[in-house]
Amino acid sequence: MYIILVYDIDQKRVGKMLKLCRRYLNWIQNSVFEGELTEVKLKELLLKAKEIIDPSYDSIIIFSSRQEKWLDKQVVGLEKNNLENMF
Amino acid sequence: MKKSYYLFNPGRISRRDNSLKFTPVDDLGAEGAPRYIPVESVDNLYTFGSLDANSALYNFLGKEQISVHFFDHYEHYTGSFMPKDFLLSGKVIIAQTEHYSNSSKRLSIASKFIEGAAFNILKNLRYYNNRDKDTSVQIDTISQMTPQISSARSIEELMGVEGKIRLTYYQTFDLIINDFEMGPRTKQPPSNEVNALISFLNMMCYTLCLDMIHHTQLNPTISFLHQPGYRRYSLALDLSEIFKPILVDRLIFSLLNKRQIQTQDFDHQLNSCLLKENGRKKVVKAWDDKLNETIKHRSLGRNVTYKHLIKLECYKLVKHILNIEEYKPFKAWW
Repeated sequence: MYIILVYDIDQKRVGKMLKLCRRYLNWIQNSVFEGELTEVKLKELLLKAKEIIDPSYDSIIIFSSRQEKWLDKQVVGLEKNNLENMF
Repeated sequence: MKKSYYLFNPGRISRRDNSLKFTPVDDLGAEGAPRYIPVESVDNLYTFGSLDANSALYNFLGKEQISVHFFDHYEHYTGSFMPKDFLLSGKVIIAQTEHYSNSSKRLSIASKFIEGAAFNILKNLRYYNNRDKDTSVQIDTISQMTPQISSARSIEELMGVEGKIRLTYYQTFDLIINDFEMGPRTKQPPSNEVNALISFLNMMCYTLCLDMIHHTQLNPTISFLHQPGYRRYSLALDLSEIFKPILVDRLIFSLLNKRQIQTQDFDHQLNSCLLKENGRKKVVKAWDDKLNETIKHRSLGRNVTYKHLIKLECYKLVKHILNIEEYKPFKAWW
């Protein structure tokens, strides 16, 4: 599935979260990631994320859609990171 | 789901926070903004530019089952970094060797490859014959040659038939392609645009087949149609015969006829013709898109990508050599 993940995490823990997300998804903006993941990989990611966060303070939100083509994406202003697989 | 990544820019790739970081370097040696590649989404890496990396990275890639394919300045395939074989099966290797050393068993598999290739070639020709390109002469010639495939007594004879079919097939390229002239097939180096595209994409197809074989228990050095030589993964050559008409040739026709690739995308030097950096990017992009296209598989009843189709072909081959199910080559039905 195609996923957009956003998080709001206390400064003390945010670095860890960033590093974790980089392994699974593409960074597109501060605290925002997107990319294609299988359901199992997403579970894996969330399991690891739960070890990092403090559930009484931090939050992670995941928007998912079955495929990338069902998602309209509009970028206004600077595109901070394009998601090409060629560079 | 996992993606192939293509690295054209020279630069350094490194392990960072258990993921991958690519730092491009420009002509003056100045580093550009780093790009992070999510390691969990990487299938394999294709490197066309020069790449810096250390052994720690390769250890990591090996652990993550990511292979890296290398190509030289002239776009030749030079080799791959392959993770440790993880699918090992002595049973399959023994059966595979047995099928190779028994000449009748070998011949039956080899002729299936050619049969598949010839069928897919004819499919291409018929398609264009219905679209104002008169390829009927070549269709007839090739159709007449196909019975010779099953009646061939030796591998040499089979290779002869295959050679004749390909020769007839290449004659039609000038008919099918609008603005370019192909002439005779030339390699090392390719002499014109069409030959350059054929060489480049054939090699991509070969690399892909090798990669897919690596995901099965088959041994890539023991082949049936081609002579298993030294220093070559000849099974990948066998397998690519079937898929070249469907993947490579169709892509070439559409790239040229839709003018996605034009004369200025090529670099003419001395007696050779090579793709320019920009042209190469376009071709690789089209190739990657093509591989991720899906078709509805008839017996599986679900959509599979072209890439997966090659893997399925390997599975069929495994089944054949283990005497579970007879191998039938893939034949395009559309």
